[in-house]
Amino acid sequence: MADEIRQWSDELARDPGSLVFLPLAEALRRQGQAAMAQKVALRGLQRHPHNGEAHDLLARILTDLGDLQGAFDEWDMVLQLAPGHPGALKGMAFVRFQQRRHAEAEEFLVRAQSQEQDENLAAAIDVVRRSGAIAPGTILVDPFSEPRHLYVDLLTPDQAAMCLDKAGLVLSGAYYAGDGQDVAQEIGASLSGVSDEAVRATRHLGIGAWKSIVFETEAAVVALRPAPVSPQTEGGLVVVAAVPDTPLGLLRRVLDKCAQRTAEWLSREAA
Amino acid sequence: MSTQFSAVLDALTRQRGVRASMVADAADGIAIDSNLQFGQDGNRVAALSASLYRKARQSARAAGLGATGFMQLEAEDGRLCILGGDTLVLVVIAEPDANVGLIRIEMRRAAEQLA
Repeated sequence: MADEIRQWSDELARDPGSLVFLPLAEALRRQGQAAMAQKVALRGLQRHPHNGEAHDLLARILTDLGDLQGAFDEWDMVLQLAPGHPGALKGMAFVRFQQRRHAEAEEFLVRAQSQEQDENLAAAIDVVRRSGAIAPGTILVDPFSEPRHLYVDLLTPDQAAMCLDKAGLVLSGAYYAGDGQDVAQEIGASLSGVSDEAVRATRHLGIGAWKSIVFETEAAVVALRPAPVSPQTEGGLVVVAAVPDTPLGLLRRVLDKCAQRTAEWLSREAA
Repeated sequence: MSTQFSAVLDALTRQRGVRASMVADAADGIAIDSNLQFGQDGNRVAALSASLYRKARQSARAAGLGATGFMQLEAEDGRLCILGGDTLVLVVIAEPDANVGLIRIEMRRAAEQLA
């Protein structure tokens, strides 16, 4: 991948009008370099403003960066350039669902289904109609495709999960605020210090190593536990948050599932 | 010596699996009243519990989650349950297999009585 990135970068340097910016930005995005991918995509769009695939790519990059509304606007542009683009419709459904606008999410899914036959789409529409309680990401996104999506099929829209390293930096997962912005980094950095205090308390009280902490706040109930052991996650945390009325026992179960998923992801990464 | 907290702490300690209960100052972690088993260091429990609660409260506020109420730390050999207010924290140390749901209800009831 690094060789291809270098090759595409060289090609783009030689010919700034080349469409090679598309695979280059996609590769950077997949490597987790979303900010760099955004720069490449924006530069490409300056020369190819009517390229629908470029707008679609930029929308996916913006999703990675947590700018859901920006992503929605880009997909809207894709639809103007390529009416009925299924990828754009599914992306817009995803954004609307994350923003709790379920009826609009369903509309986009139905429009996507009219463009392509996909069993996953039918299932997503069915779930949205019946309960409105499961994110379309459950069906539309492979949890292992990107660290940000790692827990998407384990959570309902009013829950969030992430894995933090020892420094409080986000390794996987996301935390979307009401405005659609991903605030996982801010939340993670704030919560990571609790584990040091837990270690200190359990050591001095002689009650063994800490296994989990659950606390209730005005805006959420939060559960955290040590991250599965790996060089990346040593001293890190798995954190789950949900709306205030969530039963604490349920939250613990979700926390355990997310920890298992984290362990699975780490073993895949190591393989 | 009986204090305004004694009856509440007695009721909490009667819950199955509860090893100790206490009321401490939320700001400085000093024990105000406690119901402990022989050998337990009340000052240590108060200081560590209040410190943990303060940290959780600060973190939650910094994260924009608002005020913190009940919190529970589960460890291999015990549980620490804390219900915090502006000035006091109510602390329970319990066995690993204690019924936390019941303890939480009793702690809330106790906090209402103390308010």
